[in-house]
Amino acid sequence: MLSSSLRPTCHACALRQQIRHASLLRRPKRPYTFTQLITLSDGSTFTHRTTSPQPIYRSTKDTKNSALWNPSSQKLLNVEEDEAGRLKRFRRRFGRGFDAEAMEQGEEAREGEETLDQSQQDESLLDLISSYGQTAEKKGEAAGVTEEAKKSGKGKGGQK
Amino acid sequence: MNAAPQSARRIASANNAFFVDTVCFSCRNRLSQQSRRHAATAAAVSDPPPATSPQASSRAAAPIIAKGPRKAYRLMAAPVLSRPPLLTRDLNSFEKAFYLYQKRLNERLAMPFSRYFYYNKGTPADPEWKRKLQARKTPSRDIGIYDAYGNEGWNDEVLVGDRTGERESVVEALIRDAEGKSIVEESEKDQGAVTAGDAQLGEGQRRETTKIEVERPSSRETEADRSGDVKSLNRKLDRTLYLLVKNHEGRWRFPEDRVYGRENLHQAAERILIQSCGINMNTWLVGNHPIGHHAHHYPSQKPIVSKISANALVGTSKESEKEEFGEKLFFMKARIMAGQPDLGSNAYGLQEWAWLAKEEVDGRVGRSYWASVKNMLVER
Repeated sequence: MLSSSLRPTCHACALRQQIRHASLLRRPKRPYTFTQLITLSDGSTFTHRTTSPQPIYRSTKDTKNSALWNPSSQKLLNVEEDEAGRLKRFRRRFGRGFDAEAMEQGEEAREGEETLDQSQQDESLLDLISSYGQTAEKKGEAAGVTEEAKKSGKGKGGQK
Repeated sequence: MNAAPQSARRIASANNAFFVDTVCFSCRNRLSQQSRRHAATAAAVSDPPPATSPQASSRAAAPIIAKGPRKAYRLMAAPVLSRPPLLTRDLNSFEKAFYLYQKRLNERLAMPFSRYFYYNKGTPADPEWKRKLQARKTPSRDIGIYDAYGNEGWNDEVLVGDRTGERESVVEALIRDAEGKSIVEESEKDQGAVTAGDAQLGEGQRRETTKIEVERPSSRETEADRSGDVKSLNRKLDRTLYLLVKNHEGRWRFPEDRVYGRENLHQAAERILIQSCGINMNTWLVGNHPIGHHAHHYPSQKPIVSKISANALVGTSKESEKEEFGEKLFFMKARIMAGQPDLGSNAYGLQEWAWLAKEEVDGRVGRSYWASVKNMLVER
């Protein structure tokens, strides 16, 4: 085995003497950054650095209007997502009888909308028909009625 | 499998390598202290010291190992209810100057902005961008008018008193840019109005383009700041506010009460908050351990016999009488999310309440109380 070095140095000696040979570093290529003003859904703002050239970013969904980060807010808890208006269309056709328990208090007004008066909300004949089964169910009498409804649903599916 | 006492003692002896490896440092210290104490008392029992004989005869009933009877103190808890800061702090002048300078320096160090990646040729955004760029000579909006690659690129420092680096002017510049105006106020003819001739008004007349109005963010200084309303939680949004109450003696302190029955400090602090400030506060008590303490010894070493009545809210409390030499008060940290105190039906005769920052607490509270309290309150 050939000897590796002419002047062996211990680890402690090497630490005491600094070695400062120049080494070539690549010049870092950093992208151009702007300062941007972010507006959260509750109106609070802050600035941050970003590569986006937009001066203002308006956030519509963030921690300020999320139920998980605002656990004591009843308003956020009752929010119902109705993108594309499909729920509204369903209700217009079939009434509110099929709504979940939590929605029975009335639809929470979203931002920019006004709350509709109970009498002004859509009422249809089907509303009364579909709600009949629900009220009976609550009283605990109509066990047979709900089973029938289920069977008819399956039948329709089978016929298809 | 029970370890024999002999083997336990063998393990506990300091020389044992197994003991050193498996038992932590603080436990080892404690065990060695205990063994030293046992050894000392054994030595004392074997030969009683003659100097202490007159004292020993007066305390003949007490055994030599046990100490004298301990003094009882009134155990109290006090919730330190705080609203954390809602805004980041203001920058000082050095920080503002530093950040402005660094941003201007960055113009020459970072790669140039690739305009066509974001604004395509032929789209209306393209001439809009070019127009705005012409006014400020740089893609950035928060560094004023500065051309890094021009003849004046060396001139990157601003004069004293320049408001370019201030947070308000940065935000104002960003909003003006979003509105389509140039970031600095220029002469009327360069404003966001088209100078092309309008068919109805005539040649050379300016046509009013639709003005975009972007709402400015609210001021950091609120109405409560200006009026000095200490009962408002909207005051001093960049500071922590603490709830202080004025008790029946007229002293400003954190709401406090004794600990009853078998309740622990956490439960006591929750109960005290409800009993003093009502239930209309959304609060959170952080942790089971206190953040500070305040001991007050009754003057002239004389104990006070206090009659402790049972507290309705504590199931395990009962009527008793105890001789107490002073009070030991433990502070528990709590946060408020919503609501305000209501002293209407408080059980302690509290007169007033206020939300105060740290230096304001100093102004209202007694000297010894402040000495106990000041290190647990946050500067910001």
